[in-house]
Amino acid sequence: MPASRMWRDHELKESYDVVIIGGGVHGLATAYYLTKLGVKNIAILEAKYIGFGGSGRNTAIIRSNYRTPEGIAFYDHSVKLYEQLALDLDFNVMFSQHGHLTLAHNERGVTGLRERAHTNQLMGIDSRLIQPREIQELCPMMNVFGPQRYPIQAALYHPPGGIIRHDAVVWAYARGADRGGAHVHQLTEVNDIETPNGAVSAVVTNRGRIKTGIVLNATAGYASTICDMVNIPLALETHPLQAFVSEALKPWLHHVIVSSTLHIYISQSDRGELVSGAEVDDYLSYSLRGTLAFAEGGATHLLELFPFLANVKMLRQWAGLCDMTPDYSPIMGPVDEIKGFYITVGWGTYGFKAGPASGHLMAQCIQSGKTPKMLEPFLNSRFLRDQLVGEKAAASVSH
Amino acid sequence: MTDHGSTEGHSAGNGVQFTFDGQIVRARPGQTFAGALHDAGIHTLSRSFKYHRPRGLFCVTGRCPNCMCSVNGEPNVRVCTRKPAAGDVVKPQNAWPSVRFDIMSIFDKMHRLLPVGFYYKTMHKPRFMWPIFESVIRRIAGLGEVDLSNGGSEQYDKLNLFTDVVVVGGGLAGLNAAYAAAEAGADVILIDDQPTLGGHVQHDPGSIDVHELAVRYQIMAHPRIQTFVSSTAFGLYEENYVAVQQGNRMIRIRAQQTVVASGGWERPYVFENNDLPGVLLASGAQRLLQQQGCKFDGPIVIVTDQPIGYRLADQLKQKGMHVAALVDLHDQPQGAIEGLRVLAGHTIQAASGKSHVTGAAIVPTRGGTMQTIPCQWIIQAVGFTPATSLLYQSGCKLKYNADLDQHQVTEWAQGVHSAGAVNGYHEPLVCVKDGTRAGLAAANALGLLTTDLTKRLTQLESEISQSTRDCKPTASYISNSKDKKKFVCICEDVTEKDLCDAIDEGYANIETLKRYSTISMGPCQGKMCQSASIAICARHKGIDIEAVGTTTSRPPEQPVPLGVLAGQAPHFSLIRRTAMHHWHEEAGARFLDAGTWKRPERYTDPHDEYQAVRKGVGLIDVSTLGKIELRGPDVVKFLEFIYPNRFANLAIGKVRYGAICDEAGILLDDGMICRLDEERFYLSTSTGNADAIDSWFRWWLTAKPQWDISMTNMSTALSGMNLAGPHSRDVLRRVSTGDVSNEALPYPSVKLLDVAGVPAIVLRIGFVGELGFEIHVPSQYGLHVWNTLMEAGKDFDIKPFGVEAQRRLRLDKKHLLPGVDTDALSNMYDADLPWIVKLDKEDFIGRWSLNRIKERGPKQKLIGFKLEGTTVPDEASLIVKQGSLVGRVTSVRYSPAAGSIVGLAWVPIESSKNGDIIDIRHAGQSLKAVVQDDPFYDVAGERLNS
Ligand SMILES: Cc1cc2nc3c(=O)[nH]c(=O)nc-3n(C[C@H](O)[C@H](O)[C@H](O)COP(=O)(O)OP(=O)(O)OC[C@H]3O[C@@H](n4cnc5c(N)ncnc54)[C@H](O)[C@@H]3O)c2cc1C
Repeated sequence: MPASRMWRDHELKESYDVVIIGGGVHGLATAYYLTKLGVKNIAILEAKYIGFGGSGRNTAIIRSNYRTPEGIAFYDHSVKLYEQLALDLDFNVMFSQHGHLTLAHNERGVTGLRERAHTNQLMGIDSRLIQPREIQELCPMMNVFGPQRYPIQAALYHPPGGIIRHDAVVWAYARGADRGGAHVHQLTEVNDIETPNGAVSAVVTNRGRIKTGIVLNATAGYASTICDMVNIPLALETHPLQAFVSEALKPWLHHVIVSSTLHIYISQSDRGELVSGAEVDDYLSYSLRGTLAFAEGGATHLLELFPFLANVKMLRQWAGLCDMTPDYSPIMGPVDEIKGFYITVGWGTYGFKAGPASGHLMAQCIQSGKTPKMLEPFLNSRFLRDQLVGEKAAASVSH
Repeated sequence: MTDHGSTEGHSAGNGVQFTFDGQIVRARPGQTFAGALHDAGIHTLSRSFKYHRPRGLFCVTGRCPNCMCSVNGEPNVRVCTRKPAAGDVVKPQNAWPSVRFDIMSIFDKMHRLLPVGFYYKTMHKPRFMWPIFESVIRRIAGLGEVDLSNGGSEQYDKLNLFTDVVVVGGGLAGLNAAYAAAEAGADVILIDDQPTLGGHVQHDPGSIDVHELAVRYQIMAHPRIQTFVSSTAFGLYEENYVAVQQGNRMIRIRAQQTVVASGGWERPYVFENNDLPGVLLASGAQRLLQQQGCKFDGPIVIVTDQPIGYRLADQLKQKGMHVAALVDLHDQPQGAIEGLRVLAGHTIQAASGKSHVTGAAIVPTRGGTMQTIPCQWIIQAVGFTPATSLLYQSGCKLKYNADLDQHQVTEWAQGVHSAGAVNGYHEPLVCVKDGTRAGLAAANALGLLTTDLTKRLTQLESEISQSTRDCKPTASYISNSKDKKKFVCICEDVTEKDLCDAIDEGYANIETLKRYSTISMGPCQGKMCQSASIAICARHKGIDIEAVGTTTSRPPEQPVPLGVLAGQAPHFSLIRRTAMHHWHEEAGARFLDAGTWKRPERYTDPHDEYQAVRKGVGLIDVSTLGKIELRGPDVVKFLEFIYPNRFANLAIGKVRYGAICDEAGILLDDGMICRLDEERFYLSTSTGNADAIDSWFRWWLTAKPQWDISMTNMSTALSGMNLAGPHSRDVLRRVSTGDVSNEALPYPSVKLLDVAGVPAIVLRIGFVGELGFEIHVPSQYGLHVWNTLMEAGKDFDIKPFGVEAQRRLRLDKKHLLPGVDTDALSNMYDADLPWIVKLDKEDFIGRWSLNRIKERGPKQKLIGFKLEGTTVPDEASLIVKQGSLVGRVTSVRYSPAAGSIVGLAWVPIESSKNGDIIDIRHAGQSLKAVVQDDPFYDVAGERLNS
């Protein structure tokens, strides 16, 4: 095996201690951290190729300026792990902490951001409300004072926020898991899960049956299809989310800019492509096709902020699936109904940034059989307890 | 009818001058930039993405990245398809100080240090180094430069069309498809990205009798065919929705049927140095030769395994150019031309030269000694890849066909057809037939075919199934050498070795390979490299090409300017103004944006406006509220289902406050519900939620088809204004013939009255806590009624009041604003609206959840508070208890009526009792406020009822 080999192909073993369904950032990160905790007999089952799902389709925004104390603490844990990830995995995942700006164009928006700034500061997060003049200084190219349908009134500035090379994160975790002894099985689709006597005993795949006592559902947009196999209803709906990139341009934009009034966000990658997206499509669907209406809307709003981009070309548009919960927060941990069945789902439009934290905590949870404190607010049972973690205002457009 | 669009430059007799990198260049009439540059002997047009290698004309069809320049500040323009205007300034990209000498070409020498994916393996240790490296990368990455001074003054527009059949591609197949469909009776739109119809045969007539092209002249005159040239269909979206770019215009076409006759992309041959300026694709060379009137100075070597190679040699010779040799990959020569040196059974191994081709290294295909033929041009013709992007986008399924060495459509999306070279047919007469077949098939799907035509269709289908697709290339279009600089992807500088290395590292899935090596992710989106990358992947892994699969082809088929997607400059965004807007303007109102609406925030000092309402009379424009009328025998059922409130017992002429929640019991919106008649209700929603509630109602009406209800959204049909204050009745009396006394129109009730001579719905309600009337009239009379009320109110010192005064007034009464005082987690109980929820109703949206919430008891609550002192905390201030966050302030103002600061806040249930003290954090201070159950004004509601 060459030293540079990332992950290997294996035959399916007859049984594994832990079977993780879904080869996205959550599945792979959990596997990696499990191997570090000494659990090594793990299979990651991926129906297509690793990164096929949201983890290969997202726009890689990373930040922790959320709204609720529970959310902020959790995402902050993730940002800190991301800051060390390149060293930890010895793979340059290109984390650019250039700063993240959420714009407000009306009074209500300003109030919402101010509330977040207050809460963030209380929790020790570098985040503050800034005025148009400072916005213009940070981003001189943006149309801050020029004619605009909805003039910019303030912004939430979050210096540690930024973007990352999402595929690199996926590959690096896969390599880490592989080196730790886990088996990454691509083109392996789970078709059924056996749970006699209320406990997981095996999964059935297109390549055969695997015995296991522990299954983790990490399939994001497909999460309910997996939970259907064990009759666990999830409080989530799958919506498409779209994005596009421009042709590569000499970098001129060094912040992530988000505007929920304009339904748009934009950043520029190290390759020079402008990366832009919006909110989820408002219909339920598993379709991965882009729509013209999205491209038109995205372009229109982008040009409000950056009119000089009119002659810059869109190169490619695409869609991914988002598993949206009512409170815009994830669902993690064991489920009460079936022993050995764990979930890390509900990652919606914001789950990429959470990969390290959720992987890290889910690994602890699975290895120890105890729910780490930081995960507690996100248990599935919160819906029955009616104790939601309200992140909608902080997570709808600004993933 | 043919539409040439605005890009079709009609250059005057003598041509035009432009500058390239400062040098003056002259273009002959009709020439593109590329033709003129070629004539001027300028062959290095850009520097490549990674290694900064010199690049020149290659495909000449606007697909490859090699000729991308900036034109008058517009980045990444493919100059091979753009025509110059006098004075245009063209600048090469990704080069400094010039394209001829580019400092960064040092990367080309360092390629050993920059293997595929090197950036993932370096620069991250120690941690502080990455930001430093990154800032350097960000200085050199990217291609074109954005013109930050571009003022966005260009005009863009959109055209919407509907038709029976769209034909994409005006080559032989497309022309005949359009003609056949139109003759059968269909309305047809024909789209072609070139300035003239005819496609490939225009510069490579080959075996075809030019008369076949005659059909193109008939087409232009055909009454049922509308033709757009210089127009690129870049998207084939769901349901045959075709997006076309024509210059600065986007054409959106809804078609019933689509025929994709998009031809093929010539596939490059992969050999060492295959990206040198002077290496061209055959069809590119033909375009320069036939369309641009260009010459090739110096000896030419042609590399081919196709008849087109021989035809090209013939064309070149006839025009007096020097073909030094034709290298035929087949063992037996595929043709013979007098005086042409043919090297059959040979292949090219490398191009030599530094900044331009100086020679071609040729070897026998079965091994043997290499010879170098000095030449200045290497032109390759090794077959076509079907241009399947649009078909793929539309949902057609493709499969690898080993006989043809191509991916072919095997399952078509609904209403989509394909014809011609995209189906693998290259023989012109077969393309004609296949086009006709596809046109008839489209017409057939529309039910247009006569018996004769149906027979003709069947006959064509069988003829075509027997005809050969003649373009199977020789075994491989990748030379066997072990060289390092065999470029597979010229957009991203990915070599064959890079791909093989990546596969060895584990990136073996074609999609992973693409993302890691970035192959096919550049400007051409895989048009130049897809077949070769798949073939290399298969060869290196030792598996079948079919098993490799393909990468996904995504819109747009060709990159589209954002201006074209957006349309219209300056950018169009809806602004809604009420019927009284101009009055407000004249009265000096300051406006705020409420969704798409403009609303007066204040006219003068909100304090004066507030006092006018409390002491005299005020008038506010509430036209922006959502207004819905529901009629039918089942409306009551519907309302009982939608709202947690009860409505069955609402008497005719009565009004009730209602709040809507979702399935989780979360408050969505509130408003007033009026019963106008047994089966007729009229209701209002808040401004911000008007559209959402409209959708919510329609969604549930669809879910309850058995209910007989008709819903009309009256939001913009009616203007609304609220006349409020102790004198409001006096004013209304003066302008209404109806009885508006407290007995005839008590609080809360509704009446249809005549106001200022206009039929109006008058609601006796009081959001601001005073005697008041909300008057809804047809919008066209809104201003008239407003004026009449203002006139009648003069004696009472009536004042218009804005949103700010209204907010203060309602806060006195502790009336919440959904979305301001509540968020996506506020349920009806916590929002302190328990009296609305009637759990004993049979069923309603949210009942299950509200039941549970009630059982477990509230955890937090929206409360009113009073605060002494003069410091008004921010809205959004946090409420803390022992250092941790427990709540937040949602609304806060100074209240003249209460004589103190008052507000609404979310607090934990333990701190929500009357008299509890809460700790509001403001600017580092801690402010102690007192929870108050009662409203801050008119606790008994006497004023409302007066
Ligand atoms: C356009 C877009 C932009 C986004 N932007 C951001 C952003 O800026 N920041 C951010 O933090 N988040 C963002 N997200 C969200 C983020 O991408 C996801 O939340 C995250 O990637 C989810 O990761 P995952 O590992 O849970 O799931 P995924 O990466 O979706 O992986 C799930 C995997 O499960 C596999 N699978 C499904 N069913 C089966 C089965 N039966 N058997 C085996 N395997 C199966 C799928 O093939 C898939 O590969 C964005 C999402 C999209 C679509």
